[in-house]
Amino acid sequence: MKFLGRAVVTCLFAACVIAPAAGQERTATKGGFNLASQSGKTILLFRPTVRVGVQSTGGMFEPNADWTDQARKNIDDALAKRQQTLGNKVVAAPVSYGEQAQLVEEYSALFAAVSQSVIQYQFFVGNRLSTKKRDNKADVFEWSLGSGVAALPGAKDADYALFIWNKDAYGSTGRKLLQVAAAFGGVGVTAGEHKGYAGLVDLKTGELLWLNADGAMGGDVREIDGAEKRVGQLLEEFPGSVQPKLASAQP
Amino acid sequence: MRKGVAGLVATTVAVLSSAAYAASNIAPLPPPYIGAYQPVGVDEIGAWREADEDERMLVNSPIVIRDEALNAYVRQVLCNTVGNDRCKAARIYIMRVPVFNASMSPNGTMRVNSGLLLRMRNEAELATILGHEFGHFERRHTLMKWKATRSATDLLSWAQVFAALGNSYQSHTNFNDLELSVYGRIYRFGRDQEREADALGLGYLNASALRPQAASAVWQNLMNEQEASASAKGVKKPNFTKIAFFASHPPEGERAAAMMTLADPAGENRENGAARYAAALAPLLPSFLDDQIKLNDFGASDYILSALAINGWTARLLLARGDLYRARGNPRDLVQAAEFYGKAVEVDATMPEAQRGLGLSLIKTGRRTEGQAALQRYLELKPNAADAAMIKMLAPAAGGQ
Amino acid sequence: MNKIMWTRSAAITAIAMLTAPTALANGYRERHVQVEVAKSTMRVTPVRDWNSLSIRPGKKAETWTLDGEQLNDVTFYAGIAPGEPLIRESSKKHTPLPKFTSETLLVEIPELLEGTYRTEKGIGAFSVTGSNPDHFLGHDGIRFTYDYVDRDNLPRKGEARAAVIKGQLYMATFDAPRLHYFDATLDDFRILTDSAVL
Repeated sequence: MKFLGRAVVTCLFAACVIAPAAGQERTATKGGFNLASQSGKTILLFRPTVRVGVQSTGGMFEPNADWTDQARKNIDDALAKRQQTLGNKVVAAPVSYGEQAQLVEEYSALFAAVSQSVIQYQFFVGNRLSTKKRDNKADVFEWSLGSGVAALPGAKDADYALFIWNKDAYGSTGRKLLQVAAAFGGVGVTAGEHKGYAGLVDLKTGELLWLNADGAMGGDVREIDGAEKRVGQLLEEFPGSVQPKLASAQP
Repeated sequence: MRKGVAGLVATTVAVLSSAAYAASNIAPLPPPYIGAYQPVGVDEIGAWREADEDERMLVNSPIVIRDEALNAYVRQVLCNTVGNDRCKAARIYIMRVPVFNASMSPNGTMRVNSGLLLRMRNEAELATILGHEFGHFERRHTLMKWKATRSATDLLSWAQVFAALGNSYQSHTNFNDLELSVYGRIYRFGRDQEREADALGLGYLNASALRPQAASAVWQNLMNEQEASASAKGVKKPNFTKIAFFASHPPEGERAAAMMTLADPAGENRENGAARYAAALAPLLPSFLDDQIKLNDFGASDYILSALAINGWTARLLLARGDLYRARGNPRDLVQAAEFYGKAVEVDATMPEAQRGLGLSLIKTGRRTEGQAALQRYLELKPNAADAAMIKMLAPAAGGQ
Repeated sequence: MNKIMWTRSAAITAIAMLTAPTALANGYRERHVQVEVAKSTMRVTPVRDWNSLSIRPGKKAETWTLDGEQLNDVTFYAGIAPGEPLIRESSKKHTPLPKFTSETLLVEIPELLEGTYRTEKGIGAFSVTGSNPDHFLGHDGIRFTYDYVDRDNLPRKGEARAAVIKGQLYMATFDAPRLHYFDATLDDFRILTDSAVL
């Protein structure tokens, strides 16, 4: 623990002045998969991970419970609204306890590991694994959680599972001032951090049908319009969805 | 350092507006419990929400030990220590992590590592740790530390930008100096919090039915263990009085001494609860021991075993010691391992793992026939052992039998 | 007690770091082409395409994967000599790893791997679930299975094959999440290691 504290503080600080490089892919769909609108499918939504807060001048994340609650509600509402354009039914996964809950947790951990692998070894072109490179030429996106997902609570009454992970840190005034000052010194400082990923999993086969992961998302999730835009981005290129131009969409 | 503790006690005394403790350093009774606390302010409410999210995952974590009896026991010790009112604010999770540590989050989530339970000798020592962690919680330390860290990193970011603007060798040197002094302050702040929690923990313990002097032993034992670990590794023995710059806690030497002064002498003759503690740990002790032995920290493991054997070496402890020596595997270790397993077998001839260890170490020290006999007994005691087929190759059944 | 917050920051930082470009040249191991592994004379002939990671766990070790090392990790250890650990020690002095010795018996190889994992990862939940005689690299060896909960809190399973040849240890391990990935790639691991020769 002692050495961890030191290492973390140092790199936390280092990270706050190094702007992460852009230039990687953000989304992929399994070849041949198409979710037709109004096809009567049911999508099981696992409780989204939502964290909203402020980024302090020094780059620390300051959680804000009101914003998080507001964002969670806004995102839920936006998802509900989005259903019409998705053309399919989205239902919340049932609350579970004991072994069932542990299974959900284990699959969430697996989903996180798979998502990280996709980001690290497929979306990040410079680091793409050779086999994935070759696969990609044939436009193949093959990742899976395994057919065991059928045992997840609520799975038997649904076709797909949707996992959503979202984190927003809005730049504090101090952080924004720092950003401006830093620009004069030629140092790149980012103000705010808006990351999210969403994935659709086939509840029969466990295949990852679609994944969207973005380190720089738009839309203020604290506002209803903003949350709609965010959900729009999270579900960008969601297979088969009618892509409406949301009124609130801004560049 | 001592001044810090004294100053702190004085503050607490002022809160109590009681003169009774002013004359001594004995940790006072905890202030009256103000009831279920609810977070206030954006930062604190946010921190609680984060802790709630973490707890959602923790509940279903694969490394939480869900043994009902052990959980009930640890909870009872906490309740007896801090009182039933306070106790209601905490939820305890025992984690299978072979490291001396415990923690408490702002929302009342208390994590206790299996490695900590293995190192406590009695109920009073456990109560010391639980009281200390509860003290952090009651004083809302996480929030304060977090705020201090935020201010510090804010300052450093500005300083770094200015250094970049100046962009001379001098400006960078200045920045580095500032960085060190700011971090120094964060860690010092953390150490002061630890001292405050130590005092609160002793306050609970003084008011409990347990012997408060046990608290000092926790740190004394930890020092002994670290010395044993360093000496087996052949590295410099740690300095227990010097504060390392990045140390998150005060040096163990200071803590052991401070705990002694904080303990109420009137409690000297109270019980430690050693027997109760041993009984509660017994069912999980073999697995906790195994987790420790296999960490490849020979000195620390041997020290812990000797401490557990204070009332005599049981077959289980001898088996663990044999495993420890066989794993290190120097020729002299193998001879000693055979001896420990041999004694374990004398105490309890029906323990298959002891027969296995005995057989393997005898074979490795050139006593093949005796070794094979022990392995045969292992297979008789545990015919379906996971490694039965491998062992059979080392000890083929004699034709005549 | 402040650990939680720090750990979170560490995770965030780790993610931030991940997005930074790093020049890693992971290798491509084409099927039907015999290739040396772990900078040794041990060779394998894969029957399907694999990737070898440029980051190696030790001087005498090499990791192959299909989907990333968190999902399927095949690690070859070749020519570990008495007195040597399986992987690079992060601190020789302060956290030494268990060593292979000239007295180490085949039946004790699982304990060597277990000790290495526990020490390096600082984990508590690990158990060897079975071990049996096996042929590996044309010699008498051992095949064993185990399960553990890794630092990312994801329970994993493993299978390994090992042999001691001319006093040196040769081993191949396969680790994957117990959900789906272990069963999905186990046969590939077995076929791959069946092709191993010295």
